Amino acid sequence: MKKSKNKVSIGMIVYELRNVAGNPFVHIFGVGFPILLSIIISKAVSSEMMESSYLSEVITTIFLGIGAVIPLATILMGYSSTCSQDIEKEIPLRMQLFGFSEKYTIINRLLAEFIYMTLAFLVYFIVGVNVLDLTAPTPSGAVIYIVCIYVFAAILFIMAHGIANLVKKFGLTYMISMLIYFGMMILSGMMGITTDQLPKGLKIIAKLLPSTYLNGDFYSVWVGEKYNYVPMIQSYIFFFAIGGILIFVIIHRIKRKL
Amino acid sequence: MLLTINNMNVRYGKTTALNITTPIRIEAGDRIGVIGSNGAGKTTLIKSLLGITHYTGSVESTIAPTDMAVHMQFNEYTNSMAVKHIMEAILQTKIRKNEKLKELIAYFEFEPCLNKKYKTLSGGQKQRFTIILVMMQDAPLTFYDEVTSGLDFETRQKLVEKLVSWYANKENGLCVVSHYYEELEQLTNKLLILDQGKVVDFGDKDELFKKYCGRALIVIENNEKNQQLVAAYKMLSAPGHLIALACETQEVETEITEKLIKNNVNYKRSNNDIEMTFINAKSKAASGGKDHEEK
Repeated sequence: MKKSKNKVSIGMIVYELRNVAGNPFVHIFGVGFPILLSIIISKAVSSEMMESSYLSEVITTIFLGIGAVIPLATILMGYSSTCSQDIEKEIPLRMQLFGFSEKYTIINRLLAEFIYMTLAFLVYFIVGVNVLDLTAPTPSGAVIYIVCIYVFAAILFIMAHGIANLVKKFGLTYMISMLIYFGMMILSGMMGITTDQLPKGLKIIAKLLPSTYLNGDFYSVWVGEKYNYVPMIQSYIFFFAIGGILIFVIIHRIKRKL
Repeated sequence: MLLTINNMNVRYGKTTALNITTPIRIEAGDRIGVIGSNGAGKTTLIKSLLGITHYTGSVESTIAPTDMAVHMQFNEYTNSMAVKHIMEAILQTKIRKNEKLKELIAYFEFEPCLNKKYKTLSGGQKQRFTIILVMMQDAPLTFYDEVTSGLDFETRQKLVEKLVSWYANKENGLCVVSHYYEELEQLTNKLLILDQGKVVDFGDKDELFKKYCGRALIVIENNEKNQQLVAAYKMLSAPGHLIALACETQEVETEITEKLIKNNVNYKRSNNDIEMTFINAKSKAASGGKDHEEK
C-alpha cells in the first residue's frame, strides 16, 4: 500500500531537523553566541556588583533576556535563510511533485525548528546553571517562560516563512532577518543600552517587541512576583498581526499568479 | 484511458504558451515522445498536467496530478545532508529495508553516491538520483523532461539504455520530452509534435512517419553533384546539410539505391526516423498542409 506523505511523520521531522542542523550559522548565532554573550555580560556585571545582594537577580535577568536570542537566531534567521535558499532552488516545488503538501511540510518544519530550539535551550541552561549564579524559578515562572518563548518562536516562524516567501531570494532574506535580529537585540536592551535609555520614538517601537519584555521584565515572572502581563501580551498580538499580514500577502500573491 | 486533454490554453502575460484545440488521449501504457523546438510548449504542457501551471480548458483524467511522477529539467535538493537521507525522507522508507529501492540503487550503480551531498554529485549522478526517486513512485504516468540534457554522450547513452530496459516489460505510461531523437526512438511508441504552442500532430510513431515521410526515406549528403543526381525524385524537408528522398514504393526505393550505389554515393535508409517526421510535420503545418517539395 502506498504510504501517505500528507502527514506529520518522524521521518520528515528528522529530515527537516537535518536541514536545520546543516546550517552552521544556526549553531553559531543560536547556541554559541547567546552562551558567550550571557557569560561575558554576566561576568562583567559581576565584577562591578561583587557585593550586591541583587547580583543573582541581575544575572538571571540578563540570562533570561539573552535566551530570547535563541529563537531569534535559530528560527527567524536560520529558518528564513534555509527557506529562501530552498525557494531559490525550487525545492518546495520538487517536494510537492513528490506528493508532499505544503501544509504538512510547514508543520514538519515547525516541529523540527522547535526541537532544535529546545536542544539549544537545554545546552544554554546546562551551561548557565553550571557557570552563572542563577536564581531558581518557581514552577509557574518556569512554565510561563517556556510558554512565552515557544509562542514567540511560533510567531517568528510565521514571520520567517512570510519574509522568505515574499522575497524569494536568499541574500535579501538573510539581510532582512539579520536587520530584524540585531534591531530587536539592540531595541530590547540586549546589547548594553537599556530600553529606558533609547530616544522616545525608538522606545515606542521597543515596547512593541516581545523580546523587550523577555529581556527586561521576566525576572519578576520567573520568581513568581506580581506582574502586569498586558503590555507583553499586546506586543505578542502586534507581532502575530505582522506575521498574519505577511502570510495573507503571500496567499494573495499566489492567488493572483494563478 | 489515463487522461484526455480536450482543450488547453496557457498564457504567460499576453503570450500564449500553449493552445491545444484538438483532443489528445493518453492511454495506460502509452510511451509518448513530446518533441518541438525551444518555446514549443513542451514543459508548459507537463506543468499544466501536473497542476503547477494555471490553464484554461478541460482535461479528463482517471489519475490525480499528485499521482503522476515527474523528472523535471532541473531538480534540486538540499545540500545540508547526504543524499541517502533525502532519498529515505522522500520515499518514507529505509534503504536497508526496501528491496525494490536497493535493486534500483544497484541497477543505476548509485551505491557509491549515497553518502555524498547533492551538490557534489556529477550531472549524470544527479539525474540518476531523481530517476530512482521517480521510479520508486511507480506512477501510472511519469514525465521525463529532458532527462539527459547536459550529459556527455556516453553517460546519456548509458542512462537511456537503463531506462529502456527498466520499462521494457512494465505497464507504466511515459511522457518523454527530449531534443535527442535517438532517445525517443528507443523509449517511445507515440509522438506529440508541438510548434509555437500548437499541436502539429499526435499519434503512433510509425504512422506519423508514413504520413509525413512515406514508406521509407533515403538520406544523402547535400551537395551539387547529389542534387543533380536525385533531382527527379520526391524530396522531403531535411536539415540543410542533407537531402531526404521519399520512397513511396519498393520500386522507387530500388531505383534510387541502385543509382546511388552506381554513383558511389553513401546513403542512409530508414522507415522510422523521428527527426525527419518532426521536420516534415512542422514543414507541412507551416505550408498549410501542402507537401514541402514535390518534383
